[in-house]
Amino acid sequence: MIELRGIHKIYQKKDTEIHALEGVDLRIEKGDIFGVIGYSGAGKSTLVRLVNYLEEPTEGSVIVDGAHLADQPPSALRQIKKQIGMIFQHFNLLESKTIYKNVAMPLILAKKSKKEIHARVSELLAFVGLADKAMNYPSELSGGQKQRVGIARALASNPKILLCDEATSALDPQTTQSILDLLQRVNKEYGITIMLITHEMSVIQKICNKVAVMEEGKIIEEGSVLDVFGHPKHPTSRNFVQTVVRTDVPSQIQEQLKQQGVHALTKLEMVGEHATQPILATLIQRFGLTVSAVFTNMTEIQDTTLAIWYLDIEGKEEDKANALAYLEAQGVRIEEVSI
Amino acid sequence: MFNPAVTLQEFLGEIINTNVTLQEFLEEIVNTLYMVGMSLLIGTIFGSILGVVIVVTRRGGILAVPFVYFILNFLINIVRSVPFIILMVAMIPFTRSIVGTSIGTNAAIVPLIIFITPFIARLVENSLLEVGPGIIEAAESMGATPFQIIWYFILPEAFGSLILSLATATISLIGASAMAGVVGGGGIGNIAIIYGYQRYDTFAMFATIFILIIIVQLIQSTGNTVARLIRRR
Ligand SMILES: Nc1ncnc2c1ncn2[C@@H]1O[C@H](COP(=O)(O)OP(=O)(O)O)[C@@H](O)[C@H]1O
Ligand SMILES: [Mg+2]
Repeated sequence: MIELRGIHKIYQKKDTEIHALEGVDLRIEKGDIFGVIGYSGAGKSTLVRLVNYLEEPTEGSVIVDGAHLADQPPSALRQIKKQIGMIFQHFNLLESKTIYKNVAMPLILAKKSKKEIHARVSELLAFVGLADKAMNYPSELSGGQKQRVGIARALASNPKILLCDEATSALDPQTTQSILDLLQRVNKEYGITIMLITHEMSVIQKICNKVAVMEEGKIIEEGSVLDVFGHPKHPTSRNFVQTVVRTDVPSQIQEQLKQQGVHALTKLEMVGEHATQPILATLIQRFGLTVSAVFTNMTEIQDTTLAIWYLDIEGKEEDKANALAYLEAQGVRIEEVSI
Repeated sequence: MFNPAVTLQEFLGEIINTNVTLQEFLEEIVNTLYMVGMSLLIGTIFGSILGVVIVVTRRGGILAVPFVYFILNFLINIVRSVPFIILMVAMIPFTRSIVGTSIGTNAAIVPLIIFITPFIARLVENSLLEVGPGIIEAAESMGATPFQIIWYFILPEAFGSLILSLATATISLIGASAMAGVVGGGGIGNIAIIYGYQRYDTFAMFATIFILIIIVQLIQSTGNTVARLIRRR
């Protein structure tokens, strides 16, 4: 649906050059809720703005729904932009117009009939739960309500893609949750592909199926949310994952273990139904091992559960090997970690 | 020196002792309104267009043509550097070639337009630049054409501010139109100069000032009210 190939973006500023993107390749499939996370200045906004060509790449190509954007004449490009909705951190609503007019704007630009506009706007306002606010002005709405208007407006022209640049960053946690729920409905009910930019890992955790981690203009890690949350490879990704899921043993517990003479643990990582199986009981009863769970963490990601267990396993080496082989066959990811 | 022997009655009598007739006064108010109205109308049309053009053609504007911006910006600065009274005198030959005469209200309108157009252009420029980049970004993301961006996004968002700018321009025009009296331009400025200045008619002078204050207050408060209603924030 969206493909970025070999993207470089350099901003010229007086006598300095800012290399905002340094060789980015990215594929977003139809139906994805694709999250891009990174610290401030990583180049996330620049990246998302390339997709609807608010920004042109210095090098590389942007392909949206099969169309090379660089090859499009201005009028064709405007047509493509109508297929891509966008919502913003600060909503960017027209303060001088009613909610109704704000949502109607893309349709007015497309010269739709009054009747058609009325039908579509009413439908959208009902979808975002603001049917009673049609005649209010943006200044009379809360932040969460404004973002709902932003979403309704972005959907007005029936886009295939929705771009969200820090769409929940100006909102409190509760409102963030309700906006994320709404975005999930947009994805499911309208089948719209979503590309979402954020610096909050909890946002990725709640609704994304894929994630790319950005740092200094590069994508340093990319994959399914479960994979990246389960075993982040890059230190920066690990930092982000740590903000919502503890994947390592807290240092206090590590100290205690060292004092007890424990220097190695077995880390199990389970997803979905495995996470709720009686692992400990199996290991103890079937393989005759002594098992103590040193640290465990269960997190909900994408309607499934990610469980991380740190076990101290004692027993015959052979039994232990058999047990781990059994677990691996069950789809449990196993790692020996030293502390 | 203050002479306590003069009674209040005598004092007032001296002030109200004026040669201006009410009819003359009303006629000149109408003349002022005519000059200001005409030059405001024409100046607003040209000034607004000019203001929009210098906003969109500047570097980073939605139709960036820095060369056009540079030229227009320069021209606006030149005209704005000349005080109205000098502009008016310097323009006499030009005015005469257009209107056929260099005195009277119609003749005064020509320099007033030349004076107010670049001023309005600057005010419009400031108002339009107040519209945040986020609004323009939202418009671009919807695939709006440059004209649609100006018409459906920038102008409505700037409307309240534009109304205030218009009030400022009108007040400035009233001031300038009063100066037109110096070269026989007509209007209430004429009364202040012919009676108040040349014939020491204190009443004519203060009546003119009073009228000007009332008009300016009216314009400003109307501007404020309308802008507040439009702005909605
Ligand atoms: N229009 C611009 N002109 C110059 N530099 C820019 C511009 N936009 C972004 N940058 C620079 O590019 C880098 C990446 O910015 P951005 O994409 O906004 O990062 P993020 O959204 O991840 O915080 C930053 O160093 C920023 O200063
Ligand atoms: Mg950003």
